[in-house]
Amino acid sequence: MSERGKLAAWLLALVTASWLTAPSWLAGGLLAVLLLCGRDAVRLSRRALLATASFSGTVSLAYLGQAWWQSRALPLDWLLTVNLRVLLMALLTFLFIERVNLFQALAFSRRLSFLLVLAVSQSLGLKRTLAEFRLGLQSRSPRPAGLRARYRAAAHAAAWLLDRALANAHESAQAMQSRGMFR
Amino acid sequence: MHIPDGFIAPQMYLPLYGLAAGLWAYGAKRVARDLDESTLPWLASLTAASFALSFVALPLPGGTSAHVTGVGLLAASFGIWNAFMAASLVFAIQALLFGDGGVTTLPLNALAMGFAGAVAARGLFLALRHLHAGLALFLAGWIGLFLPAVLIALALGAQPLLAHDAAGAPLYFPFGWSVTLPALLIPHALLGLGEGALTLLGVRQIERLRLRYRHD
Repeated sequence: MSERGKLAAWLLALVTASWLTAPSWLAGGLLAVLLLCGRDAVRLSRRALLATASFSGTVSLAYLGQAWWQSRALPLDWLLTVNLRVLLMALLTFLFIERVNLFQALAFSRRLSFLLVLAVSQSLGLKRTLAEFRLGLQSRSPRPAGLRARYRAAAHAAAWLLDRALANAHESAQAMQSRGMFR
Repeated sequence: MHIPDGFIAPQMYLPLYGLAAGLWAYGAKRVARDLDESTLPWLASLTAASFALSFVALPLPGGTSAHVTGVGLLAASFGIWNAFMAASLVFAIQALLFGDGGVTTLPLNALAMGFAGAVAARGLFLALRHLHAGLALFLAGWIGLFLPAVLIALALGAQPLLAHDAAGAPLYFPFGWSVTLPALLIPHALLGLGEGALTLLGVRQIERLRLRYRHD
C-alpha cells in the first residue's frame, strides 16, 4: 500500500474507532491493531499508555470518585469503553507514526511537503537550543534561580525564538528563490 | 496536559473540522496575500518558533512551572492569521509526528487556542495600546490563554449532552459544565498572569532586538 493509502486508512480507522461505544468492538479493534504492530506491540503499547495516562488517569479517577461519592456505584462500563477507545486510538496513531513516512504521505502537495520539512527541521533545532538555554541558566546560577531570573530567562528565550524565526524565514526564502523553488 | 483522542465525540469534532477547514483555507489565502512568495518559509519558521515556545517553561511561585502557548505573543507581534496558521500547524505536527494530543482534538485546539485566542489577544492589544501599551500586551497574553480555556471547558462540558446512552450515561468525556468550567477557569485565570507577563517581556525584547539589528 502506498504512503498516501496508509494515511487514508489510518484516518478512516481513527474516525471509525471514535464512533465505537461497545467495549467488545473496542477490545476486538485493539487486538487487531496489536496484531498489526507485530514485534513492536509491547513498545508501542507502552508509548500509547504513557502518552494518554495523565489525562485519562486523572479523568477516570475523578469520575470514579464522583460516582462512588454520589451513588456508591462504579461506572465500569464507561471506564472500560473510554479507556479502551483512548488506548486504541493512541495505538493506531503510534503505529502510523512508526510505519508511515508522513513526508512521503503528504508528497501529493509539493508545498505542504516543503512546509512540513522546513517546520519540523527548524522545530527540532530550536528545541535543542532551548534545552541549551535551560542548561545555561542552571550553570550560571550557583543556587536555584529565583522567580524574577526565571521569568527574564523565559522571556529572553521566547524573544530569541521569534527573532530566530524571522531570520530563518528570510534565509529559507532566499535559499529557495535562488534554487528556483517558486517558479 | 493535552486531550488525547477518544474523549471528544464525533458529533462535535467532525463539524469543528468543517469550520476549521474553512478558516485554514481562508488563513492560507490571507497569509499568502500578505507575505507574497516568502509565505512558505515564513509560515514554517513561525510554526517552528510556536512549537518551540510550547517548551518554554513559565515559572510559577513555589518552584513549579507551566508551559507557554505563545498565542498572545504571536498575535500581538505577527497578527491573527499568522498566529492561527502557525498554532494549527504546531498542533498537527505534535499529533502526527510525536503522538502528543489527538487528531480528533486538533480542530478544537486550533479553533479555541489558535483562532479565538489570537482574535481576542490581537483585538484587546489594538484596542488598549493607545491607553497603555504595557497593559495592552499583558492583557493580550492573559486573554490569549484564558479565552481558549473557557471555550475548551464549554466543549468538554458539552460531551455528556451530545453523546450518552439510553440511560443518560456519558459515552465520551463524562463531566458537565459544573465541573469543567471551574476546573479549567480558576487555574487558567492565574496561569494567564504568567502568560501576560511573558507576552509583555517577549514583545519588548523583540522590539529591542529589531532596533539593535537596525543599528548594526
